[in-house]
Formats: sequence, structure tokens, C-alpha cells
Amino acid sequence: MTGDTNGTLGRREVLKGAGATGLVLTAGCVGSDEEPAETSTPESTVYEIGMVNSLTGSLADFGTYNKRGMELALESINEVGIDGGTLEIIVEDSESLPDAGVSAAQKLATQDQVPFVIGAVGSGVSTSIYESVIEGSDIVQLSQNSTSASLTDYPGLLRMSPPGGPQVQVLSDVIAEDGNGSVAVAWVNNDFGQSQRDGFLEAWGGEVAYESPHDQEQSSYSSVVAEMANSGADAWVFLTYQEQTALMLSDAFSNAYEAAFYGSDSAKGPSVLENTPSGSIEGMKTVEPSAAVDQANYQSFASRFEEAYGTAPTSWSSFAYDCVITAALSILTAEEFTGSALGGTVRGVTASPGTTVTTYAEAVEALDGGGPDAIDYDGVSGPIDFDENGDPVGAFQVFEVSDDEYTSLGTRSA
Amino acid sequence: MSILEYLANGLVFSSIIVLSGVGLSLIYSIASFANFAHGDTMTVGAYGALVSFGAVGSMGGLLFGLPYGFYVALAAGALLAALVAVITQRLVYEPLEIGSIGLLITSIGIAFVYRALIQLGFGTDGRRYAVPAMRPVEWLVPVGIRITVQEIAIVAFAAVFVVALHLVLTRTLLGQMMRAMADDASLARVSGVRTSRIKLWTWVLGAGLAGAGGVFLGLYNQIEPRMGFNILLVVFAAVILGGIGSVYGAMLGGFLIGMVDQLMPVLGDIGIPIGTEYSYAVAFLIMVGVLLARPSGIAGTTER
Amino acid sequence: MTAIRSRLSIPAEPTVRVALGAVSVLTMLLVVGLLTGGIGPAYLLYLLGLSGMYVLLAIGLNVQWGYTGMINFSVAAFFGLGAYGSAILTASNTPTGLSLSPLVGLVVGVGLAAVVAVLIAVPTLRLSADYLAIATLGLAEVVRIIIQNQRAVTNGNAGLRGLPKFSEGWPLLGGFPTGAPTVTLSEITLGPFTLLGFRLGRPVWQGLLDLSVVVVMILVVYALVRRLHRSPWGRVLRTIRSDEELAKALGKPTFRHKMEAFVLGSVIMAVAGVYYAHLNLFVTPQNLAPINTFYVWIAVILGGAGSNRGAVFGGFMIIAIREGTRFLRELLPQQLGSGGAVTDLYTTVIGNFGATRLLAVGLLIVLVIRIRPEGVLPPRSELIWPETREEPDE
Repeated sequence: MTGDTNGTLGRREVLKGAGATGLVLTAGCVGSDEEPAETSTPESTVYEIGMVNSLTGSLADFGTYNKRGMELALESINEVGIDGGTLEIIVEDSESLPDAGVSAAQKLATQDQVPFVIGAVGSGVSTSIYESVIEGSDIVQLSQNSTSASLTDYPGLLRMSPPGGPQVQVLSDVIAEDGNGSVAVAWVNNDFGQSQRDGFLEAWGGEVAYESPHDQEQSSYSSVVAEMANSGADAWVFLTYQEQTALMLSDAFSNAYEAAFYGSDSAKGPSVLENTPSGSIEGMKTVEPSAAVDQANYQSFASRFEEAYGTAPTSWSSFAYDCVITAALSILTAEEFTGSALGGTVRGVTASPGTTVTTYAEAVEALDGGGPDAIDYDGVSGPIDFDENGDPVGAFQVFEVSDDEYTSLGTRSA
Repeated sequence: MSILEYLANGLVFSSIIVLSGVGLSLIYSIASFANFAHGDTMTVGAYGALVSFGAVGSMGGLLFGLPYGFYVALAAGALLAALVAVITQRLVYEPLEIGSIGLLITSIGIAFVYRALIQLGFGTDGRRYAVPAMRPVEWLVPVGIRITVQEIAIVAFAAVFVVALHLVLTRTLLGQMMRAMADDASLARVSGVRTSRIKLWTWVLGAGLAGAGGVFLGLYNQIEPRMGFNILLVVFAAVILGGIGSVYGAMLGGFLIGMVDQLMPVLGDIGIPIGTEYSYAVAFLIMVGVLLARPSGIAGTTER
Repeated sequence: MTAIRSRLSIPAEPTVRVALGAVSVLTMLLVVGLLTGGIGPAYLLYLLGLSGMYVLLAIGLNVQWGYTGMINFSVAAFFGLGAYGSAILTASNTPTGLSLSPLVGLVVGVGLAAVVAVLIAVPTLRLSADYLAIATLGLAEVVRIIIQNQRAVTNGNAGLRGLPKFSEGWPLLGGFPTGAPTVTLSEITLGPFTLLGFRLGRPVWQGLLDLSVVVVMILVVYALVRRLHRSPWGRVLRTIRSDEELAKALGKPTFRHKMEAFVLGSVIMAVAGVYYAHLNLFVTPQNLAPINTFYVWIAVILGGAGSNRGAVFGGFMIIAIREGTRFLRELLPQQLGSGGAVTDLYTTVIGNFGATRLLAVGLLIVLVIRIRPEGVLPPRSELIWPETREEPDE
């Protein structure tokens, strides 16, 4: 397309213009006529809230877990309804990066004007969203998966997953009780991993033979594993995600390295079981924030999950599930569908005083038109009960791998 | 424990980088642009093999700890990668009359397309090939080397492919014409070489090698949509270090980079506090260091 | 590289008219969207701010690539150095414990970038095109990895947050966003359309302020860069771009000129980084990822490599492509067909929208290059010396 000839200038120019415009139009930020966050029709009200999720990027797996938890929650809620209305969630992709996450949140806040945002997965993404978009507005932000200690500094930023600190404390206790004197710690090189590692090293009293970060997207973890083996530690601690844990454990197997294996909740899940050789991680222990597995609401959640998706849920799905339920309860008990009203009810619905309820349907029944203090929702991820920093109280389960399955060794607290 | 272990790891990882790097170098020399979709071409190969392996199953016995079906899948994956690359070349790169930087940008767009399609088709979960899990080779362990037969297979096959490529380049007419084109395309055309046909074959070989590299990477590490993109920079470093246009340079560069990456723990062992998280940084610095001394890479032929 | 000549076109006026036409249509659509509530004003201002940042980055890259022909793939590193340089001094959670003004941050960020630019330039500028590209890419990764792992200085992956807005603490403007009254534009109904009906509150005023900051930056940089391009210094750069051997033969100190252009471009990128830090109020090592460098290159090439107008246009285009694809999902229907392969396929596409967006971005890039390989606003008459024409050009 080099060089224009004089003759066909006019027509070509017009075509180009139209083409270019059309192209940029489809790409450009022209939204359709905006639906306000709440539409009233004779039949029912649609309550729209927003969610920033990692649909793509390095945390895309969590995005999938979240999506599943969210979908199940929407089912539970819309079965019963919110005062005759339904809940809808506008999901935007954070691409697992702070900038894209902030863009996503900006859109939800200023364009879609939602009063409640569930987000995000990565701790760095959650804090950026809070600082750049949420702070100073009256939108309620509830992070589904961020565990870094930094979120505690923002009382206005609520989260469903307990901060990493208490969890690694429990983990450290378990490791010590099993008679291990020295540890080799592999932690993922991001806000989440860094936070867990700091907490763990603080809690651990014994020897630290090795501790080093690794990236999430490495093409090979052999050198990390080789170093852990060389350190001679009794116990290997995985403060990283399922994917990396599975890869490192498989590598350990194919190199015939032996040690006692431990992990935080992110290192536990179906991927680890599937992607490591059968019997290779027998006896591995992990700590996970969750409601007791024999609790009725968790069992029903787990079986619905299994039925819908063919695999067991992870704690990440539970958090997302509880986030949506909490949002719905908050809407139900608020005077109006605005950020400030929701901000006033969101903590009350999850904490005492109030009748303890464990499912949405139960909560609706118990409420009977009452306010947030009439109920205390205890979710599938634990009792929640946001404290003044917006952090939930954690209940932790210790799991052990036995016969290629996770079995619970009981509940503990930090 | 031992440096021999690290060397063994390095050998395996290098093999993968060498395969991909040689492929990239071939394409570089003929198509004259940096193909940033090369990493995602590896991913295409890996997923192609995944699907084929699922289809053919293990087909009986094992060779080097891998089912025969796996080797069929390996070929299928490489072929798929080659096919996709050739189609892209015909539809997208060839009709574009723009400079190499424009093609580079285009290849970034193409990389997005490959990756997005794979993600739409397969989701984001990491997967592995359904091959038996292995323990290290028994008699090597006391020597201080821990390597499984499957990893030996990776090294062996990479070596076979590289030797085969060498033979093609030096002994066949196709190879000679490829080298002629790499040297001076216009002269080759004027001498009667059917340049478009040669270009096609170069893409087939280059992308096929990348696909094979992808399959081995999937075997060695895991299969997920971003696997190729994540290793791309390091493959580029290997090719540049070895010198654009030199297949042998790419082999050497790949070997060097792979070794450096896996030998990082040695630094810790001898007291230099540079952790393995700096492994790529060290690799890139070495690359720049080599370029300082030899601005066209170790064996670079063309001034581009 | 021989490619330069084939990429050039010497079009007449109409190509600029095409671009201007497209831009005016788009602007009209945006205005309409704004009035009818299709686009929230604060969001629009935010997007414009981001575009402004990309414009700055593209101008900086244009000095290196468009003027001097250097393929620099370390854009993200200088962007990040600017951002971190300022953030380390101003963030609320910075390990250094300092809390200085963003203006000091600007100076330091720029200074840091200049120093690193020299460090990167020395080993790489003598390399030829592709080697330079990958070498700069590699060194940018080294910078990123260092920032990511030197936690004591940079807080590593946790990032630096709590950054002050650029205008914070300024006498008049600092208090503007909170002090300014909230203006409510009440709804007007014109037949089937509802117009206005939105509030201009604090986020909008802050957005306006942020936007003005970047506009000022762009104006200053643009004027400076244009001036330099027309100067004797700029001429030498252009000679180096077309034929470095010739420049050397003419006795010009090519290395020094290239170094100067490289540093200048990098400094401009650092300014963009400082702006970003105080727009977004959060910096992380991810801001230095290579993908960000690719986006800037896409902006420059799609906009029209070698011209500053092209760089400006490209900045807007890349944001339009990246952010606009978010809206694609709202424009598409929920379901297609009533079962069967097509419906399933469609559901997968809608259901995994993140991946679909990636696909859309990739396809758009390829499409734009196909339709207009020289970019939307390529430089005109690049090889014709200004003295021989009436109107010297970008």
C-alpha cells in the first residue's frame, strides 16, 4: 500500500476513512447505552455488583476457581432472590496485573457505577485498586483471595481470605510438632509469597537451612529443587501455588530426593494430587483456612461443586463463594442500594450479634425483614466475622495426604 | 551433593533451548525478522502432542521410559506447529511489504492470537503428558548424577534432530539452497533457486523444531498456555549470543544459556550470594558480555 | 536494514485527512457517548490520562527509533526507573522512609534513568539492529529482576504504594479536587434520548487535573523534540538512521549522537513513568515487564513509525485497542443460536472473555498492520531535507 495514484483518490480516501473509523470504533471505548446499576421493571430488580478477577495472566487458575465459587453462589442466591430481585455480577479481567486491575476497577466504578466490588486475587492488585479507585469513594471492596499482610493496613479494604500470618503460624507449629529441626522454604516471588515467607520465618523457631524465591512462570524449577535437596533440611515448606508445588514435587520424585513435605493452603489442591506421581507425596501436610469439613454447609458446597465441575473445591473457590453471599446479604439488609448503605451492613451480617446461619436460604429465613445484626453468617470458608481492619477471623484445617487424598486432621487456630 | 547433578539438569534444559533456538535461527536467517511468535509456536506443538497422545494412547511398549505413542504424538505436535507457522507465513507475513520491525510487531500480535486460541480451547490449567513417572537411573546415582531415562530421551532426541539438521544443511540440495539464501537471497534467486519453496521448507523445519522443543518442555516442566512465551526471551538470548544466521551458534548459545541457568546454585555453594532468582539476569549479562567482544555473536554470519 | 525504504511512502495530503477524519468521527462519538451516559466522565478522563502516558512513551521511543533508527526494547525499564525513582522517595510504605515531594521524585527518576541509559547504551549502541533489540531487552530484564529482588530498597513484589498525587501540596491546585463543588448536570430528555444526568464530583476534578499534568508534559516534550529534530543535531541523527556509514564518512561522531538520542528518549520515558506512578499511586516490578515495551512499540508502529504525530496517535490507539476490547463483551449478545457446535463455541468465547480479549487485541494489531503497514500517520518526506521544502516536517 505504498503510494497513491491521483485518479482514485477520492473514493479510496473515503473507504479508508470509513474502514479506519469502523476499526477504531469496534476497538474504541464506545459503550452501549448504559444500564444503571439498578433497573426496576415491573417484575424484579436487578442488583449489579462488580468483580475484578484474574481471568488471564499468571493467576488465571485462581480466576477459574473464583469463577466457579461465584457461579455456585449466584445459583444459591437467585434461587431465593433478594427481596424478589436478582443479583448479577459484572466481571472484569485484571490480567493478574495491578495496572490492568486498576483499569478494570475504574471501569466498574466510574462506568458501571457499582456500589460493591469483589476484588482482587493478587494482593498487589487489591491494594492498587483500593488506593487508586476505591479509597475516597463510598464503594465497598471485598477481596476474595488476597492474603498479604499489607491489606490489614487498610481498614476499608475487606477481605475474605485470612491474612497469611496466622496461617503460617499454624503451619510452623505443625512442622515443629512433627519433630523437624530444619526447614527449606520455597516461596513464590510475589506479594503473596513474600508475605507468607516473612510470616513463616518470624514464626519458625528452628533452623532455616534454605529459603529462596522463585518466579511463577519459570520454565524449570530443577535448580530450586536441587538447592533444597543440598541444604539437607528435614522439612521442605512450599509457600507457593499448586502448579509450582506439583512441579517441584515431581522433580523431587524424579531425582529421588527425600524429605518431609509441608505447604500452605495455596500449595494444596487437586492439581497437586493429579500432577504428582501416585504415592510420592504421601504424608504431606498442609494448612488451609476453611470451615470444618464435616460441617453441613461445607459438605453441601463441596458436593455441589464436585457435581458441577468434576473436582473438589479449593479454599479459593470457598472464599469467592462467601464473598458473593456476603454481598447479597449486605444488599438484602441495607436501606438502599448504594455504597455507603452497603458499607454499613456488610460487616454486621457476618458477625455477632445475630442468629448463626450457614447458608443464604437460612439467612433469608432468619432475617425476616430485620437488619444486619439479626444474622451472623458463617460461611464455607470459615466464620468470617470481619474485624476492625477488614480481616476475617481464620479457622484452619490441617490436611494430610493419605492414599492420594486429602484427609483432615482437625481444626486449629493460631 | 554435586555439580554433576546441576550439569545433568543443565544438559536437559539446554536441549530444549537448543531445539527452539535452532528453529528460531533458521527462520531468522530466511525470513529476516525476529519472530516473537516463536515461543507460542512451541506451545502449539506441545498442545498438538497432548491431543495426539490422547488420541493414539500408549501403543504398547516403552522406549526410554516413554510410550511409543508419545513419539507419534511428538511428530504430530511438531507437524502441527509447522503447519500453523506456514499458514501464518502465507496469510500474514508474506503479503506484508513492511520492514522487519513491522513484521516483529505483527508477530507479537500473532503470538497473542496463538495463545488466546489455546487458552480458549484448553483453559488455563497446567497439564502433563500421561507418561509414567520415573525415578533416576539407578547406576548413575552413586556417581552423583540424578537423571531419569525420559530426560535422557530429551537429550538424545535433541541431539538426533540437531545432527539430522546438520546433515540436511550440508549434504542435501535443500540444505545448500537454504544456506545460499541465508547468505544472499537475491543472488540465490537469480541463480535459479526457487526461493519461495525454500522459504516454505525453512519455516517448516524451524517451526517443527520449535514444536518439538515445546513437546519436550511440556514433558520436562508442564503444558500450559504461557509456556512458550515464558521461555522466549531466553531462546532469543541464546540465538543472539550464538549469532544470527548461524545454526551452530544457536546450538552453542542454547547450550550455554541452559547451563548457566541450571548452574546458578553453584554460586551459592561457593559463597557468592547471587540466588537462583537472578539466573536470567546472569544469562542476559553474559549475552551482552559476549556481544561486547563479538558484536555479531559467537558465530554470527550476517551483519543485520 | 533495507526495510526502511520499502516502508516509506510519499503520500499526498489525503492520508492525513483520513486519519483526521477518523479521529473527528471518533471524537464526536465519544462526545455523544459522554452526553448520553454511555461513558462515565471520570472513566473517560482516566483513559485519556493513560493515553497521554503512552503518547509520552511513544514520543520517547520515536526519538530513538524514528529519528535515529535504534531498535530499543528497554522501554519498560526506563518507564519503571522513572516510576520507581519517584516512588522510592514518596511512597508511604517505602523502605527508605522518605516522604518527599513528587517534583523531587521527578528529578530523581529522570536522573536515575539517564544514568542507567548511559550504562545500557555503552555496551549496546555499537550493535546492529537485531542484536541491539535483544541486548536492550535483556538488559531491561536485568533491571527488572534487580528491582524485583532488592527488597530492602524497592519492597520487591509487594510494590510501593500510597504515592501522593502529583498535584498534592501545590498551593491552588492541590486542593482543587476536594475543594471544587460537585456539579450535577440534571437529565435532559430529548425524545427517546436521555442526556447528561451525571455528577461531576471529586473523581472528575482529580481526573481533569491529572490529565492537565500529562498534557503539559506532552506539550513541553513535543515542542522540545520537534525543535531538536530540525536542528543540526537532528539532521545528523537522520543521516545516521538512513546510512550510518555515510555519517561516519562525513566525520560525524555517530556514537556520541546515538548516545545522546538514546539518553534523551529514555529520559522522556522516565517522565512518563513518574507520571504513571502519581496517576496510579502504586508501582510494582510488573510495570517493567517486557509486554509493556511491546505495547509501546505497537503504538509507535501502528501510529506511524518515525513521526511524532504518529506517536501521539499511536498512544491513543493502543489504549483504544486494549481498553476498548473490554466493552466488546457488552456489545455482543449473550447467546448465539440454540444449541449445537456454534452455540457451544460462542459460549466458550463469551465465558472465557479474558482470552477472547487477548485474541481481539492480537487480531486488531495484525489487521491494522495489514490495512495500513506504514502506520496511520507515517512521516512524510523523510529523506527530503527541510531546506529544500517550504514546510519542514516531522
